[in-house]
Amino acid sequence: MSSDTDETLLNLDDISVHYADESAIMEVIPDSVKARFDWEEQPVRAVDGVSLDVGENDVVALVGESGSGKTTLGKAAVGLEEVTDGEVRYRGTDFWELKENGQIDGTSFQQARKALQIVHQDPSAALNPYRTIMATLTDPLKRWYPDLTAVDRRERILSLFDECGLTPPREYEDRYPHELSGGEKQRVTLVRAMLAEPDLILADEPVSALDVSLRVELMDLMITLQQRFETSFLFVTHDLKHARYIAGKTGGRIAVMYLGEIVEIGPAEEVIRNPKHPYTQILKWATLPSHPDDAQKAIQATSPLRKRDIPDPVDPPSGCRFHTRCPKAREACVDESPEQYSESGDSHKAACFREIPDHQYWQSEHLNEDGEIMIPE
Amino acid sequence: MASDESTEADAIGEDSSAESTVFDVTADYEQSTLDYYQNQFDIWVVEPFKILWSDYRGRFGIIVVAFYILMGTLGPVIVPAPEPNQAGRLIQPFENPSHILGTDGLGQDLFGLMVHATPAMLKMILSGAIAGSVTGVILGIIAGYKGGWTDKVIMTWGDTIASIPGIPLLILLAAIIEPENPFVIGIILNITGIAGASRGIRAQVLPLAEKEHVEAARAQGQSFSGLIVKEFLPHLLPLIFIGMLGGAVAVITASVALYFLGILPFTTQNWGVVLNIAYQESGAMYNPRARHWLLVPLVTLTLLNIALTMLAQAFDQVFNPRVRARHRGRKVEAEETDEEEATNVDSELIGGQMQQ
Amino acid sequence: MSEKIKSGPGRTETRDTVLEVRNVEVTYEMGRGRARVLDDIDVAIERGETLGIVGESGSGKSMFASSLMHAVQDPGVLNGEIVYHPEDGDSVNLLDLSTRKLKAIRWEEIAIVYQGAMNAFNPTLTIGRHFTETFEAHDVDPDSGLERARDIIKDLNLDPDRLLEAYSHELSGGEKQRALIALGLVFDPEVLILDEPTAAMDLLTQRYILEMLYEIKEEYDLTLVFISHDMPIIAGFADRIAVMYSFEFVEFGNAREVLLQPEHPYTRLLLGATLDLETPLEATHTIEGSPPDPVNVPLGCSFAPRCPISADRCEAEDPELRAEDTTHEVACFFPNRSVEEIGINTADQRRRD
Repeated sequence: MSSDTDETLLNLDDISVHYADESAIMEVIPDSVKARFDWEEQPVRAVDGVSLDVGENDVVALVGESGSGKTTLGKAAVGLEEVTDGEVRYRGTDFWELKENGQIDGTSFQQARKALQIVHQDPSAALNPYRTIMATLTDPLKRWYPDLTAVDRRERILSLFDECGLTPPREYEDRYPHELSGGEKQRVTLVRAMLAEPDLILADEPVSALDVSLRVELMDLMITLQQRFETSFLFVTHDLKHARYIAGKTGGRIAVMYLGEIVEIGPAEEVIRNPKHPYTQILKWATLPSHPDDAQKAIQATSPLRKRDIPDPVDPPSGCRFHTRCPKAREACVDESPEQYSESGDSHKAACFREIPDHQYWQSEHLNEDGEIMIPE
Repeated sequence: MASDESTEADAIGEDSSAESTVFDVTADYEQSTLDYYQNQFDIWVVEPFKILWSDYRGRFGIIVVAFYILMGTLGPVIVPAPEPNQAGRLIQPFENPSHILGTDGLGQDLFGLMVHATPAMLKMILSGAIAGSVTGVILGIIAGYKGGWTDKVIMTWGDTIASIPGIPLLILLAAIIEPENPFVIGIILNITGIAGASRGIRAQVLPLAEKEHVEAARAQGQSFSGLIVKEFLPHLLPLIFIGMLGGAVAVITASVALYFLGILPFTTQNWGVVLNIAYQESGAMYNPRARHWLLVPLVTLTLLNIALTMLAQAFDQVFNPRVRARHRGRKVEAEETDEEEATNVDSELIGGQMQQ
Repeated sequence: MSEKIKSGPGRTETRDTVLEVRNVEVTYEMGRGRARVLDDIDVAIERGETLGIVGESGSGKSMFASSLMHAVQDPGVLNGEIVYHPEDGDSVNLLDLSTRKLKAIRWEEIAIVYQGAMNAFNPTLTIGRHFTETFEAHDVDPDSGLERARDIIKDLNLDPDRLLEAYSHELSGGEKQRALIALGLVFDPEVLILDEPTAAMDLLTQRYILEMLYEIKEEYDLTLVFISHDMPIIAGFADRIAVMYSFEFVEFGNAREVLLQPEHPYTRLLLGATLDLETPLEATHTIEGSPPDPVNVPLGCSFAPRCPISADRCEAEDPELRAEDTTHEVACFFPNRSVEEIGINTADQRRRD
């Protein structure tokens, strides 16, 4: 699914997003003094050194739990969250530099801003309750297509309603958000994103707030839109099943995040069928099967994790961040941090020493006293 | 994207080509400018008025406030200015048709006194309530959205002012500045209101700035001012209006109090002046025949305060999107939809228990 | 205490019933009409079982949960009978009880962990304080109560000192949920109702809470009523399953049967719309339309407007729950047609034996 053009649509180059929460006093005191007395505030490292390329007509599902940084990464990718380090490049141009300068070479900030849109998790919060749907949707259209007349805009919005399953379209014009159901509201937010004819949409847990029977419907709609208009999608979710569905049906990739890093990435079906990173394997294990016999057995099984609690993102573990909980961790994992490897050199990579057949990992001691813990299927 | 080029072409209603998509759609009819402005007028003026009017408090408020505005604008033209000895002293109210509220101890027509004090009062309210509110709101929004040092500076200033006791502060300011212009007086009288408004607005803006619809608007390239007007303001308007009307009440009451106490100079007519003269100079408290001299200004100011307060309460309806929706009644589809829509609203309330 | 359940289709054996719900309905008077948010529910919950309730939002499942404790909020009106059969002692109809006696049953015999209760902690009180207040409300000595609470908290793999002194904002989602479960267990109830206990949780936390629930069910000898929209979770826990749609039970029976051989079109479609990691992606489908309003429930079968096999009869008559055999009841006139024409996930079909 990568593009054939020279410039990748979206290029996240070793980006980090750190949050520091300093009180006013601390801001005034010079850094040298703070260093002297060891008063420095440790930042929360929500995203730490992530690189990712998203092409045209490309779908990437970002999977992770809370604290993994997936939402932060997503928002950084669409320019809604500033990066502390690294570059976010839209078609080769740094997004934040573009914002400051308004225009760099052939690309304007307007273009970049228009090209990167978002669909939120909670449709009720994503629509201004005090404005009618029409008013909310007219604004972006006015901005991006100033040549359209008021009636043009209206027609375009109505036809997008139709396209997105809000039928009959005229029913929805004058409505306030509270008059719509959750599923309908979510479609409206999708319409809003599509009105900008974006190159990429960040969908942040778009179906998690919906009923089960509505989820597949909405994901199907996104897939339809994706394929028809060749919009790229960055789909953030904590649910492996959603990731599999969206990325699987579009031939996209799944990227698994843990504590601010991408620990595994690859084509959807491969990552699901053959997860390489122990964390992904555990996520797969944690997803309950639907057959009652399997589900019952699964509920009764104990977790293969060595420790329950997620480490503090302010002070992540040394070396491989997962080593404190990894059932397969060994001494080597404590000191060194693995890069993304692929033994076969293909696009399915995992940041784990187990991918390297002759790494010293295989010679070091297990961190778990009783040796390697097996992760059940 | 494939459809980019064809967007510019004004293919009105032509969907024949295989290339054209939903993004090429333009309308095949026109709406006149007149229609558009009429529609806007409907939404911004007619509808709120109707909503206010349908609420008993709104109706009361509108009528009374309108009356006072008339009193302050046309009044001084129609009603003769009060002068000492224009009629007998202490004529009782409702006895003499040409002096409907009676006269005071100096023979001045009380109705005339009320009317001629109103313009100044209106000016004070305008400057105090509105200027004060607007300032407070702007400060609050900036503090809440920008955060950091800006926030801290604004809040500290506001808190300092708010911590100084109200009346003594006003007395001090009045004594130092010796204001005569009602606009200036108005601002001074509402200075603590600015501090309060900015805190209140900031508290509302803080969670708002994080909200998803604000983020979505940013993604759609909305400017800072655009965000304020379109995303924050609708949410803040009820608070702002109530703050303004509360500010008006504060200005009215404070001005009357200060004039009554004799702190503000009598060069300006004010209901408090009347009270002062009645109370201090002529011992109206002890003279049953002079009671109306005290009551008339009191009732005048109280009535306005009540009307403003009721109006504030009614305004809440105007900003409530559920009321707006119900008001628009979906009137075309009448009963059936009304019911559906009402049950939608109500079942959501119940559904709050049932839904995820 | 054993009791013969009212005879009717599918329930002729004597079982040890702990909570019996008979003809329960809950109505709300709204400006435009009367809304029935729970419609003629009948179920005999057996001691020691896990009863799974499957339903989406608007199905009435949370209303069902509240009604089990006779805790439906005003202005809702509950009619019918809710009979609690304690292990020793007399059975009581909750609707007959005085407020005081009802309080003795609520929480002490039947406890609930509400959906979204994680957000209902008082942010200004420590968790320990929440416990003490509960004790005081039930006239239990706080000190001995806290002793017991600490044991339960330890069973839930938390440090009692830390938990009791923490404020809710200091705890993670999983910890808060466990605190709520502890609050529910603190009086050693017979029945514990769990309304979406793992909604909005991370995968691993969810798995952990479920494992925990499984253990405490055994250890505290509980009867569980487990409400969830998530099929696999119900599949892992339930002995019997009731599927709710539009405020009624549309299918009810032995868990394995309902999951592997569902008969009601809604159940079949719901299973078809359930995602997992094995089912081929093309095999997943959706359900058209949306559930009806409580005031405007259609005459006849409430699922008819969305049902792919609905016939004229379905729009005129409302099907009752009826049993094909003793352990499986379905509210549909055409269960056979339903099975033939509506496919569910092939993964399950493949492993049906």
